[in-house]
Amino acid sequence: MPRQLISLTINGREREVAVEPHWTLLETVREALDLTGSKEGCGTGDCGACTMSVDGRIVTSCLMLAPQVNGRQVTTIEGLQSNGSLDPVQQAFIDTGGLQCGYCIPGMIVAARNLIDDNPSPTLDQIREGLAGNLCRCTGYTKIYEAVELAAERIRGGA
Amino acid sequence: MRTFEYKAPETIDEAVSLLKEAGGSARPLAGGTDLVVQMKERATRFPYPATIVSLDRVSELRGVDFSETDGLRIGAGATMTDVATHPAVRERYAALAEGAGVVGSLQTMNMATIGGNVCNAAPSADTVPPLLVYDAKAVIVGPNGRRTLPIAEFFRGPGETALESDELLAELRLPVPATGTGAAYQRNTPRKQMDIAVVGVAVALTLSGDAIEHARVALGAVAPTPLRAMSAEAALQGQPASEETFAKAAEAAAQDSTPITDIRASADYRRHLVKVMTARLLAEAANRAKGTA
Amino acid sequence: MAQETKVRESTGTDANGHTAVGQRVTRLDGAAKVTGKTVYADDMKMPGMLHTSVLYAPHAHARIKSLDTAKARAVPGVHAVITAADLPDYNRKDSNRTGLIFPDKEVLFFGQPVAAVLSEDPHVAAEAVELIEAEFEPLPAVLDAVAAMEKDSPLVRDPLHDVDRSEERGHVSVETKETEQEGEPSNIASSAPFERGDVAAGFAEADIVIERTWRSAMVHQSYIEPHATIADYDISGELSVWTSTQAPFYIRDELAQAFGIPENRIRITATEVGGGFGGKIYLTELMVAALAIAVKRPVKYIMSRKDDMLAATPAPFAHIELKTGMKRDGTLTALQARLIYDSGAFPGAPMLPGCMLIGGYYRCDNIDIKGYEVLTNKVSVGALRAPGAHNATFAIESHMDIMAKELGLDPLEMRLKNAVAEGDLMPNGQTYPAIGLRECLEAIADSDVWRRRREVEATPNRGIGLAVGGWLGGLQPASAIVCLNPDGTLNVTVGSADITGTNTSFQQITAEVLNVPLDMVNVETGDTKTAPYAGMSAGSKTVYTVGRAVKAAAEDLKQQMFELAMKRLEVEPEDMEVANCQVQVKGAPDRAMTFKRFGKLSTNFGAPFPVIVGRGSIAARKTAPGFTAQAADVEVDPDTGDVTLHGYAIAQDAGFAINPLSVEGQMQGGASQGIGIALWEEMRYDEDGRLLNPNLLDYRLPTSRDLPPIETIIVEVPSEEGPFGARIVGEPSIVAGPAAIGNAIDSAVGARQHEVPITPERLLRSMGKL
Repeated sequence: MPRQLISLTINGREREVAVEPHWTLLETVREALDLTGSKEGCGTGDCGACTMSVDGRIVTSCLMLAPQVNGRQVTTIEGLQSNGSLDPVQQAFIDTGGLQCGYCIPGMIVAARNLIDDNPSPTLDQIREGLAGNLCRCTGYTKIYEAVELAAERIRGGA
Repeated sequence: MRTFEYKAPETIDEAVSLLKEAGGSARPLAGGTDLVVQMKERATRFPYPATIVSLDRVSELRGVDFSETDGLRIGAGATMTDVATHPAVRERYAALAEGAGVVGSLQTMNMATIGGNVCNAAPSADTVPPLLVYDAKAVIVGPNGRRTLPIAEFFRGPGETALESDELLAELRLPVPATGTGAAYQRNTPRKQMDIAVVGVAVALTLSGDAIEHARVALGAVAPTPLRAMSAEAALQGQPASEETFAKAAEAAAQDSTPITDIRASADYRRHLVKVMTARLLAEAANRAKGTA
Repeated sequence: MAQETKVRESTGTDANGHTAVGQRVTRLDGAAKVTGKTVYADDMKMPGMLHTSVLYAPHAHARIKSLDTAKARAVPGVHAVITAADLPDYNRKDSNRTGLIFPDKEVLFFGQPVAAVLSEDPHVAAEAVELIEAEFEPLPAVLDAVAAMEKDSPLVRDPLHDVDRSEERGHVSVETKETEQEGEPSNIASSAPFERGDVAAGFAEADIVIERTWRSAMVHQSYIEPHATIADYDISGELSVWTSTQAPFYIRDELAQAFGIPENRIRITATEVGGGFGGKIYLTELMVAALAIAVKRPVKYIMSRKDDMLAATPAPFAHIELKTGMKRDGTLTALQARLIYDSGAFPGAPMLPGCMLIGGYYRCDNIDIKGYEVLTNKVSVGALRAPGAHNATFAIESHMDIMAKELGLDPLEMRLKNAVAEGDLMPNGQTYPAIGLRECLEAIADSDVWRRRREVEATPNRGIGLAVGGWLGGLQPASAIVCLNPDGTLNVTVGSADITGTNTSFQQITAEVLNVPLDMVNVETGDTKTAPYAGMSAGSKTVYTVGRAVKAAAEDLKQQMFELAMKRLEVEPEDMEVANCQVQVKGAPDRAMTFKRFGKLSTNFGAPFPVIVGRGSIAARKTAPGFTAQAADVEVDPDTGDVTLHGYAIAQDAGFAINPLSVEGQMQGGASQGIGIALWEEMRYDEDGRLLNPNLLDYRLPTSRDLPPIETIIVEVPSEEGPFGARIVGEPSIVAGPAAIGNAIDSAVGARQHEVPITPERLLRSMGKL
């Protein structure tokens, strides 16, 4: 199949990229755009490691075809830090020990940031609901809940 | 994933003519949460598509609108999130909000569309039992124009629908529920989220005082297609909204179901769940009905 | 929230005078991981690299009649199709899973790799695999491990020869009288007896005797990163492998043997491991290296989730028959057990640790334990965090509750009465060193979950259950190097893969010994050509063994500085100390030489000192078993069988928590896996031996909706040999979950669960409601 050109805004930057129609958004970002932070854990939308935000809503990028994001805004884990400093969500995951092997973490943090953007004061139950699409096998989630609470608190405090 | 030709029409008519041109070798793509998985796993119930007709640019397919005269119109391209968070759906079609609100993860709900959920025709589809209890109609567009089908007639078997290969599901229309209607959907899954329904049950009751004026019970994952439990409905019609009535109806619903044993549960367990869940949901729906009256 | 989290910042001095160890320290690799910068194997590309797609056997047991690869080879973009016939020479060992790349005559399990397609485009490779025309003649598949033991059972495979047990020994150190099948036509790969006293007499003196059978499903490690390996072989004969592994040196040794390449010409780089849990020791590396040797190009193989579910090394199903006798006063008088572990098509099932633990938690004068490792035509098993332990513990810890209930004893008091302590016997006759089982029980008694027991149990369908768990731990020599830089900072190099934050603990150990702030120390895992030897990061032994080596290396470096400073400071080393990044005279801190000065004097042009490199090298002889006690608070829906976990508490003996933040993480993570095994996880096979749920939809890992915050209590009973008293940490946490949940469910609804996972359906059946 001939490649087709799509343009998308990735982490605030407009990019044109030649894709094959069967490439997923995840593959496109990892292989063609060389942003390897997002991970494939299952390829079937069941683990959330590939979570990205498309036009402000989180998706499993392993199930989205590259041409579908033509003209859209995509944010990956690489787009979270700004001006050389970590996003408060990223910092909170470090501080609470909310990460171990790290493989689920890029997707988890994109989902957590989106959760806090939608709800600046999430309760524990809301955090548990909001992150249910992001499997973590290492932490048992306890320190991830703490990280999201801490991040929300710091963001509310203007960090 | 094996490659294919990708088309992104901008109107329904354009999409239909692309499907027609392909003569059965094309598939419409909505949110992709079912189709892309099936394509990756070579597990489509149809030949691997040579052409994908993506519907994501077809703006006519989007939108959820409600009016007191025409009821609810849901574009087939509305996502689960669109449906589950829509104020009118939450207020007037609670069972549908509940069905759309449990599909996979937030990520899934942001991608998956109600049209995709319906057209994938899984017996376990979470939005279908709610659509059945609200007497939804499917508006179908094909080369020869539009036709409308009661949702109950849309399903032909697992993965099989009334759609011809060049037809699209354009929208779903739900009449305004009568005053005094309460409805609810629940599914049973081993995990609290990220699962496929072992059993899904939707009910709707319209009460007049304590009497059941109108009843609907619909079941998911207990037959080749989602289905209405007709004898359960008959057991409710005109009866007092009591625990006893609900128990009889629940028993009837279990009789109406024809579940199979598969990796997710045994037929016995499914039938048992139908009974337990139907009784509980009828009580919940009756409470809700009283709340609206 | 479970506990308040303190962030590093100031490293104060704790009660023991420690400034670096014992502190809550954030991970060295934290920033890289939260920004997506960390490089995992799948993130790497090599020039000219080919992608691999593997053909998996579609039968549980079959003769390979023919493999026609012509159509696959003809696909544009396919570089090569490799079958057993196309492989380079290697030292094939048919009796070990990792000794055999592709079979040429017979496939032994559904999902066994049979051939591989290589292409620059992974999609092309995947498509071409489907065009390999493979003909099989199905043979009888043996799927039930218990039935497979019968004399008249069909055989799973040809008899075993020269079974290599080295990988299993990386996880646990057990001295036994194991009997290997070796050449006998039987499906029993090995068996082992553990006997003491006279069980008949023990049962005779008991007031109650309980006899039950316990089953635990085959489960998968389900790291979120599937297996990922890249290999390259250059014309000069050097083999390089980048792979997601816990065991780089082990792989090096195995590949050296397999291909006859000297160990100094093999470079294994353990890339960041996206979760291992025992499942990432040595699996795909032999195949990928062979493919790279065959095609003389870099080859990458990334397992899909399905590949990984079909053809990695999950943890075994076990069938355990247990009979116990107890006196009215709670004295355990006899324990008899028969443990059958389903090993799949190759040996490797962790039957020995199961035997050691089933009779290893409680003092008992009369034991008779027999373990069997049984072959079936299923995927062969490997290690999962305390391999074999949860299966056996589910049996004994459920029994303890049954006996307590029958005798009207408090389950916690009765356990305390029998719990082993230092000097007590293990089933193999060895004695326990200092251990903290009793201390864990005392700690869990004080947990929020256990303390609300009366109140919770007054609520219908709610219950709280308790169970203990433990792990003996592995032993292996280890080494480490600490280098002093010209600016006075320090680099630590180790050979152990960091899968749990161990490098951060090494940073703390080094900072503690040299009395410097943490940021003066950096730690790196080298590859097998650059790093000093370390055993596999398995058996919970990395901090326990490599940590000791790091401590020794830091001490060595300190001693070297002391000796070099003698002339200038004019005192003997014993009168010196390290503080404030300098070597100073005790009591006269102004008479000092800074680390920076040592750095300059040992590296600059014409500098007088030799380069200062601390070297630590240790042998590990004594295990430091780790124990845990856990409590679960559950609610059962008595009509649907649904279980909701309202709370969970874990107490675990860490010896000394060098980094409480990571110790808690290990405890919580392991506990969550134990809960997963208890309630959801199960690899399901059909009657032909085909895996029905090779995905993360129907193989259910716990989600955040399913897991409440876990209450975490660190217990510290120092070990004899571990650095600062640390003992093994990673594994015990997974062990108690199935029994704790089963006991809680029994307490909630009075229905004893004899099989995990406890699905709603099984639970409802046990209640007689289905």
